[in-house]
Amino acid sequence: MPSLRELQSRFFNSIARVPGGGSASFDPGLVHLVEGRGQLGPEERINIYAHMYYARLHEVLREDFPRVAAILGCAGFGAVTRSYLACHPSTHPSLRHLGRHFAAFLDTRPEVASLPFLGDLARLEWTREEVCDAPDAEPLRREYLQSLSADEWPDLRFQLIPAFQVLQSDWPVHEIWAAAGEETLDRGCARREKTALRVWRDGFAVYHAKMDAPEQVALAGVRASEPFAVICAALESLVPAVEAASAMGSLLLRWIADGILIRLPQNENGTRNEQP
Amino acid sequence: MAFTVPYLGHGVGLRTKHFPHLWEGTACVDWFEAISENFMIRGGRPLAALEKAREVAPLVLHGVSLSLGSTDPLNIAYLDDLHALICRFEPAWVSDHLCWGSIGGHYAHDLLPLPYTEEALAHVVERVQAVQDRLGRQILIENVSSYLTFSHSLMPEWEFLRAIAERADCGILLDVNNIYVSATNHGFNPEEYIKGVPADRVGQIHLAGHSDMGKYLFDTHDGPVIAPVWELYRLAVRRYGRISTLIEWDDKIPAFAVLCAEAERARTIETEELELAYAKSA
Repeated sequence: MPSLRELQSRFFNSIARVPGGGSASFDPGLVHLVEGRGQLGPEERINIYAHMYYARLHEVLREDFPRVAAILGCAGFGAVTRSYLACHPSTHPSLRHLGRHFAAFLDTRPEVASLPFLGDLARLEWTREEVCDAPDAEPLRREYLQSLSADEWPDLRFQLIPAFQVLQSDWPVHEIWAAAGEETLDRGCARREKTALRVWRDGFAVYHAKMDAPEQVALAGVRASEPFAVICAALESLVPAVEAASAMGSLLLRWIADGILIRLPQNENGTRNEQP
Repeated sequence: MAFTVPYLGHGVGLRTKHFPHLWEGTACVDWFEAISENFMIRGGRPLAALEKAREVAPLVLHGVSLSLGSTDPLNIAYLDDLHALICRFEPAWVSDHLCWGSIGGHYAHDLLPLPYTEEALAHVVERVQAVQDRLGRQILIENVSSYLTFSHSLMPEWEFLRAIAERADCGILLDVNNIYVSATNHGFNPEEYIKGVPADRVGQIHLAGHSDMGKYLFDTHDGPVIAPVWELYRLAVRRYGRISTLIEWDDKIPAFAVLCAEAERARTIETEELELAYAKSA
């Protein structure tokens, strides 16, 4: 008789080596060990597990990447997920992590080469999943800005909530995401366009929005913990100098309305900022 | 050694679809069971819902990925995540399945069957003890539905389950539906199973629906408990007495009221059987 470990290896290889592959991939050494009483033979019994393995993992990927699935259709998405699971079987106890390599996998697959934006669409869907269960934080409110005196503004620093990510793409992936959700995507009409998105969670809802160049520069400053005055100076390369502070103020108000800012706990001098 | 857990009554599995009831104040149930892995995250709605749930009713944690029967090393990071979840939410107890689900670092995310051999028995006992040491508490292990058995098994499942519970000093979460499904799929008597499980180890009962696939029964948790499973539950109450009972419904999830009605049916059966037993003894 095989050891318990050998049995488990044979079992797992039989159901997972060729996801959805059927009884042709079953290890004869395993089939020999399975009782075939009643209406089901050993292969049919192993096949129940093989079917469950693929069906469950396929369903998780379909739920995590609904728009990629919609674009590819049932058969196309099924073929891709079978290939993906063969290359990337789950290595984490939680199904939450199953799709973490899916976007990069799509980038390399010849069968979806006619849809060159597909990897980035998957990346956006995955990023939305990640911010969905990122750590909670209490965002800054507008009242905080109103409470500041004029001489506090130049040294003011912020940080972003944990449930925030930036996504760069060569495609207008937000438009593709919207069209795929409404099943109005014309696959052949997508045109390359450098796109920067911010993706965030406000409360329990996840959002994404395209950023223009000034917003990207300002946000990079926030991420680098630059003070307000330094970020305004950086903006002067994109907007007239006299409008930089006003532009930055507008961005701050938008970010606060979206709930993506928290204040750095300490200022440049190492003293604790007052809490809003 | 002894095994005891509090009696919580008749509860339901906490599922995403029913989260709104927690905030609306309409989640009226004796207790909730939450799937541990669904809450091993850092923030967001599920954790907020679990906080709300435990304000409403007692909570227990039920895992699906502990992989007690696997010959891989125990996943310490997983156990630490589980421990953190336990510390935060203080469940009345913690359970997982008598099965394996991972090998070579790869997870099947399924409840795969074990051979009922001395080697497997010794292995699982050691693993349960290691888990209990790591978590600092006893756990409950649940019998799974199965679709195959191994020709080199040396004992029936209930003897295997009993031996593990007694040697590892853990509790049993007895899934009555799983007994019925496996009994049909493998041709054993489900009543013999119920009678073979030690009453002093049973801390919780699961009830659920399943699907008839023609040649076999499939544990789908997508419908109401069927009549033969209710009858087995009656037998379980007669045999074990008052045991916290939970309705599992994981697919085609109905309105919360439907789940609660199933829990109430379990309560009625329990009351009937206990009154009958009392009348006989009086």
